[in-house]
Amino acid sequence: MTVRIIAKLDVKPPFVVKPVHFEGLRKVGTPPELAKKYYVQGADEVVYIDIVSSLYQRDIVFDEIEKTANKLYIPFGVGGAVRSVKDFSKLFHMGADKVIINTFAVQEDSSIINKSAEIFGGQAVVVNIEAKKNGDSWECYTDCGRVQSGRDVLEWAQDVEKRGAGEILLQSVDKDGRKNGFDLELCKKVVASVNIPVVVASGAGKVEDIREVIEYADPSGVAIASLLHYDNIAISEIKEYLRSSGIKVSR
Amino acid sequence: MSNLIGVVNYGVAGNIHSIKKTIEKAGGESIVINKPDQFNNVDKIILPGVGSFKGAMQELKNDGFLEQLGKNKKPILGICLGMQILSTVGFEYGKTKGLNFIQAEVRPILVDAKVPHVGFNTIDIVSENELLNGLEDEEFYFMHSFEVVNYTNILSLTEYEGHKFVSSVQKDNIYGVQFHPEKSRDSGIKLFKNFINIKR
Repeated sequence: MTVRIIAKLDVKPPFVVKPVHFEGLRKVGTPPELAKKYYVQGADEVVYIDIVSSLYQRDIVFDEIEKTANKLYIPFGVGGAVRSVKDFSKLFHMGADKVIINTFAVQEDSSIINKSAEIFGGQAVVVNIEAKKNGDSWECYTDCGRVQSGRDVLEWAQDVEKRGAGEILLQSVDKDGRKNGFDLELCKKVVASVNIPVVVASGAGKVEDIREVIEYADPSGVAIASLLHYDNIAISEIKEYLRSSGIKVSR
Repeated sequence: MSNLIGVVNYGVAGNIHSIKKTIEKAGGESIVINKPDQFNNVDKIILPGVGSFKGAMQELKNDGFLEQLGKNKKPILGICLGMQILSTVGFEYGKTKGLNFIQAEVRPILVDAKVPHVGFNTIDIVSENELLNGLEDEEFYFMHSFEVVNYTNILSLTEYEGHKFVSSVQKDNIYGVQFHPEKSRDSGIKLFKNFINIKR
């Protein structure tokens, strides 16, 4: 099986921004133009996360999502401020293939995972886990790394699997935007603790970091943001490097 | 000769949007079928599918599509869950009768690996056919937890962590693919071209 190489767009509508350590935003382009660029470069998926609407209690901005979906002939995951089964439905109609949920499921009502998985199929329901290291374990955060939840990451990962989620997107509050490598232990432990696919994010600063996390943690996919947005390293180059290291990736 | 493809809209969610877009990219024309009588206006049918086997059959029934599908002679392409429900019976959220176009059962994918099976994977064509013409070893996007168990109508197999499963089927005018052509870059566009070119 190939490891998926996924382009992650952190969006403050109408721009893709790069949060540094989940704080301080810099504009890097618009979602449709960047989505198209990464699709052409060979991304296996594009993930779009509205990083401000949940925090500001705003509704999802649907326009940009539909425009972005129109550029793609690969799977498109969308998250940020998803609060109801109706939001799921609307996002699928806008062209999302997977809907990503975090804050509402953690803080308000975890059963939204069960309900949406039963209606839309588990494969379309992704839970975003924002993990922050706390001693020997990791704690779940919400609202883009700002709000503590008290939940243990590994327990929550197993819980969401039981509830029917089809995938976990794992981000690290400590490593996000720092470009100094992944939280390898976190990635390995989460991958090993569940039977559903885990996509790891946060920390790719060079191609070697991506190889390292794949070899160490065996994730189903790696989501990349800064490396693509700023360093002009194309996804095709990343895949070529991984292939030459003996890692299976799609063409 | 007209060659209009109808994409059946049933249920609460759908990847209809991306299927229509990919048909256009492949040079074809399509409409969304919202009501059973619209079957008469099209030449070919695509049956998408998002959700569960049980939910999908229920929706087809509620929307009045079952009868039309039963007497249909036009080429049909079922995609993902749309392929699964072509089978006799499914075991997702209990036992549910399918469309029974293909003698098969739909069961949880039998593999000692992460499920759902998600990502790009290749197909091994085991029976020459128009739909997969020129697509040997091409990569397609899969996203599923169940598999179609069938032995007689197999077009291609796919291997996931040592387990081979049926990735496409055909019987007469009925075609089904477990993967998502509309999410499979140029390979999927080529498959849609093949479907468009199938003579009735």
